[in-house]
Amino acid sequence: MTDTDYDVVIVGAGPAGSCAAIEAARAGLRTLLLERGPFAGSKNMYGGVVYPRILDDLIPEWWQQAPIQRWVTRRSTMILTDNQSLSVDFRNDAWAAPPYNGATAYRPEFDRWLADHAVAAGATLLCDTTVTGLLRDTSRRSGGRVTGVRTDRPDGDVTASVVIACDGVNSFVAKEAGLYGTPNAKNFTLGVKETLSLPKQVIDERFGVRGREGVDIEIIGCTGGVNGGGFVYTNLETIAVGVVLKLTKLAAQKTRPEEIIAAMKRHSAIAPLVEGGELHEYSAHLIPEAGLSMMPEMTGNGLLVAGDAAALCLAAGIWLEGVNFAIASGMYAGQTAVEAIADGDVSQRGLGGYARRLSDTFVLRDHRKLRRAPQLVLSDRVQHLYPSMITGIAERMFRVDNPLAKPGLRRIFHEERKRAGVHLRGLVRDGHDAFRSFG
Amino acid sequence: MIAVCIKWIGDAAVSGVSAADEAAVELALRHGESSSSSVIAVTVGGPAADRCLRDALACGVKTAVRVDASFEMDSAAVAAALSPVVAHSAAVWCGDYSADRGSGSVPAFLAAMLDRQQALGVVGVDFIDPLRVTRRLDGGRREVLRVTGPSVLSVEGSVARLRRASVRAAVAAQTAELLPYGTAPVSTRSGSGVMSGVTVRPYRPRARVLAAPAGATALDRLRALTDASAASQPGETVEASPPDAARRIIEVLDHWGYLAD
Amino acid sequence: MLAVIIVRDGQLPAGADETISECDGRGVLVGSGTRSAADQLHGVARELTTIEVDGFGPGGWAEALAAHLVDEPILVLPASPDGRDLAPRLAARLQRPLYALAMGVSPSKVDLIRGGGAELHSRKPASAFVATLQPGVRGVDRVEGTTTVRNVTAVVASRNDATVEQLLPPDAATIDLSEALRIVAGGAGLDNPRRFEQLVALGALLGASVGATRVVTDRGWVGHERQIGTTGVIVDPRLYIALGISGAVQHTTGLGQPDHIISVNTDPHCPMMQLADLAVIADANEVLDELLEQLPQRTGAGDD
Ligand SMILES: Cc1cc2nc3c(=O)[nH]c(=O)nc-3n(C[C@H](O)[C@H](O)[C@H](O)COP(=O)(O)OP(=O)(O)OC[C@H]3O[C@@H](n4cnc5c(N)ncnc54)[C@H](O)[C@@H]3O)c2cc1C
Ligand SMILES: Cc1cc2nc3c(=O)[nH]c(=O)nc-3n(C[C@H](O)[C@H](O)[C@H](O)COP(=O)(O)OP(=O)(O)OC[C@H]3O[C@@H](n4cnc5c(N)ncnc54)[C@H](O)[C@@H]3O)c2cc1C
Ligand SMILES: Nc1ncnc2c1ncn2[C@@H]1O[C@H](COP(=O)(O)O)[C@@H](O)[C@H]1O
Repeated sequence: MTDTDYDVVIVGAGPAGSCAAIEAARAGLRTLLLERGPFAGSKNMYGGVVYPRILDDLIPEWWQQAPIQRWVTRRSTMILTDNQSLSVDFRNDAWAAPPYNGATAYRPEFDRWLADHAVAAGATLLCDTTVTGLLRDTSRRSGGRVTGVRTDRPDGDVTASVVIACDGVNSFVAKEAGLYGTPNAKNFTLGVKETLSLPKQVIDERFGVRGREGVDIEIIGCTGGVNGGGFVYTNLETIAVGVVLKLTKLAAQKTRPEEIIAAMKRHSAIAPLVEGGELHEYSAHLIPEAGLSMMPEMTGNGLLVAGDAAALCLAAGIWLEGVNFAIASGMYAGQTAVEAIADGDVSQRGLGGYARRLSDTFVLRDHRKLRRAPQLVLSDRVQHLYPSMITGIAERMFRVDNPLAKPGLRRIFHEERKRAGVHLRGLVRDGHDAFRSFG
Repeated sequence: MIAVCIKWIGDAAVSGVSAADEAAVELALRHGESSSSSVIAVTVGGPAADRCLRDALACGVKTAVRVDASFEMDSAAVAAALSPVVAHSAAVWCGDYSADRGSGSVPAFLAAMLDRQQALGVVGVDFIDPLRVTRRLDGGRREVLRVTGPSVLSVEGSVARLRRASVRAAVAAQTAELLPYGTAPVSTRSGSGVMSGVTVRPYRPRARVLAAPAGATALDRLRALTDASAASQPGETVEASPPDAARRIIEVLDHWGYLAD
Repeated sequence: MLAVIIVRDGQLPAGADETISECDGRGVLVGSGTRSAADQLHGVARELTTIEVDGFGPGGWAEALAAHLVDEPILVLPASPDGRDLAPRLAARLQRPLYALAMGVSPSKVDLIRGGGAELHSRKPASAFVATLQPGVRGVDRVEGTTTVRNVTAVVASRNDATVEQLLPPDAATIDLSEALRIVAGGAGLDNPRRFEQLVALGALLGASVGATRVVTDRGWVGHERQIGTTGVIVDPRLYIALGISGAVQHTTGLGQPDHIISVNTDPHCPMMQLADLAVIADANEVLDELLEQLPQRTGAGDD
């Protein structure tokens, strides 16, 4: 296998690709990391909330050096109707200190930082280079093993023992390899985000945080007729406001994402948070939503697929975790490649360790656990009926309409459920699903 | 030896080199090929600027030099930092203006310091000896210049596309050695060399004293000045889906009478 | 303050009159046909000095002019091609700082256009300096009375300059553009080169010529002869349709004074949207598709 240009070629320098490269390069493999953008992370969403604990093994004390904006110490979930809002607000001071929990970061910086680690580990990073095809060994005994990639550069073919596809959602490489069925719009949501500039102290005051503390808010019932959810989170001197929308509904409703964000920003519960923010950046990106049900074959003959390319992004409706899954799957793909190359078997069987690693860890466990979550959270009931029921109940509880005596909670619940047109059976089933998923 | 000057624009959001500089690299390479001489690439900037040198090496530049300068300098200072490196070249290729500063004056200062013939804003080149170039003048006119002896040329981005480097060349360039050329002379750090006392604000048009009259003859100018239709009435702003937007545009065009004929 | 204007065969460069206004009507005209050029500046200039020399050469001219200009602390040239050629050579020769591409110049403050027309950098200038003024941003002050014209002679010791082999008239390919009454132009907001083939189609439907911004011509998506602006073709259409164009000053100052401007842009705040009679906030690419969908029927229907 030494007649190849590289031991491992990794397509895409996002979190998955860089972490795969770190593992491979640290094991002494000749590793090439290809990125279509001018630098790692250049094509990526401007910011996000990341959960980098998974880096503990890969980059000990990562928090000392990672380009983090704020440490998330407050998470709230908001339920909105046109003129009401109900928040569940959790604050944990422990999350402001190592080993931390969630953090907001600018993805171009974060991805670049990870890629730098790959290069430091000995990998070669080549940007401005787009992979346009796969090289295969056509001889019968090889079973069409993937032997490298074709790029858009002159003399652009690069051979390798193992190719790792980390090229993100809608992976071109995985499709080329025939690991995907044809993508189905039903399986994707559209993420759209505005980044707004505000002075740090204004953000601190509005969100009730200090120093490096940050806030992450998920919102249901803010996307009008389109099923989806919203999010607001704080960077150091910007805040991100966005929505995640069901593609099919979006198309059907003929509304534009910008309009939905605009409406959300006008809501009395959101407006005070975002007012006066100057638009700094607008971005949109597909999110693989359907989790398990859309995951491709992740191991091919001479090929591994990681991160969003393998639809490993955990999008439980509005709770978005992708970076940590990308990092983990990238690591495991890297480790598997190392193992397989050492054993001299890079066939699908030889790369079997990857699947094992994935299913033994949170990567697939979480996905199995939250299997039903997306459909649930994006279901019409949760989207359009429950919010008005729940806020209705809250209103009745907090409302004082003397001389009338306070109604009992059971009665309120009964009446509000009726008013909102929620059927008990559906409610029970959803509650059960929710418990199975999140409980 | 042929030289090319490349400016790396460093800020996190937009980093890279201008299309004009890429064109300059391509023309330097062609010039080198046609005169079978090697090409040297020079940049004045911080370590981040190494990237544009490596990209140039990947494309076939022989030597790459970075004059270290991690501070903002004015054009004369940049030229002063460049000139010793390119002093012995047969020709210095530059972009006609850098994306950020955009004064387009570094090449001219370079020509002055090296006492060379200059051709700025080149839009066409004929690689014969002596070199023949076409540059823009006002009003769409152009002039053809014959450039003899050592020269400084600045080109527009549209003149040439920079060739793509092969994977191998690109990879090799990443670890290729760059010749350090010391630090930009300290003298330029002080005095007029360094940008000082600059306040930056978003561009706002200046209140025009009077519409600058267009037109060649006094009469035209008078007409231009007194033309009622030139006075701009407050405009209409619409936010609409593409189909509606197009519909509105067509309505308005029709209303203005552009669809009548 | 003194304006330094380079004249070729009696033809004034873009921004000559504005530069002279910026210098309170004082200027020197250098080059060939300076006398007839002076005549064109009545009502703009107070006192002019003409220096008749031919064969433009920035090196030689800087040398020759230096002697005449040393005592003038502030020299302003229009940022026209020739002005941008000569100004740095003058600054170098006189050992003064150069403030290039200014929107405004005064002894106490210079405003420089930077960042591709997106920023203004204000500086307190040195006591003596050379500056270039962006044409089209200032306008001209009308002055009463006659212009005093003084003629001085200067000798250009032959210097190391490129030789002009020929002067080409405007590129045939640009004639249609510079004379077009209707222009559809595309900028960096258009997402790929094929959009400009669509623009040509749209132009055909509207009887309009196709223009572009510098960013686009730099990408090689269309020839440089299609570039509208101070370093491109100066146009003066009645109708200007701008798709995905921010309206940077170097572009808009090449625009003349259209009766009607339509701008399609996702950013409602950019200058081109401010200029527009109809400002459409939308994706220019999609709108372009739609226009090509809808216009044919419309124009077909419009015949009756
Ligand atoms: C709106 C939105 C918000 C999100 N918020 C969060 C969040 O808050 N927290 C979180 O954890 N996750 C979030 N995610 C998900 C997260 O962004 C992804 O899960 C994560 O980026 C996946 O990483 P990756 O390395 O697999 O793919 P990517 O990060 O997409 O990287 C793929 C890389 O491959 C490159 N590439 C693609 N094709 C080619 C090719 N042919 N040749 C060469 N290179 C190629 C791309 O340029 C890119 O750099 C969000 C996603 C969206 C859309
Ligand atoms: C010395 C000098 C001379 C110059 N001469 C010229 C000249 O002669 N002519 C010239 O044109 N420029 C010239 N320039 C360059 C000029 O400064 C600007 O950089 C250029 O005009 C910007 O072109 P643009 O509007 O296409 O690109 P940008 O400034 O990048 O604007 C792109 C616009 O498209 C919008 N947009 C993005 N996506 C979309 C979408 N999907 N739909 C709709 N809109 C979208 C953006 O909001 C933005 O407003 C010169 C610069 C210098 C320094
Ligand atoms: N720091 C620099 N290093 C190398 N070349 C430069 C630098 N600044 C300007 N140049 C060259 O001079 C040209 C014009 O730049 P400017 O005069 O800044 O508009 C650029 O296109 C480059 O070719």
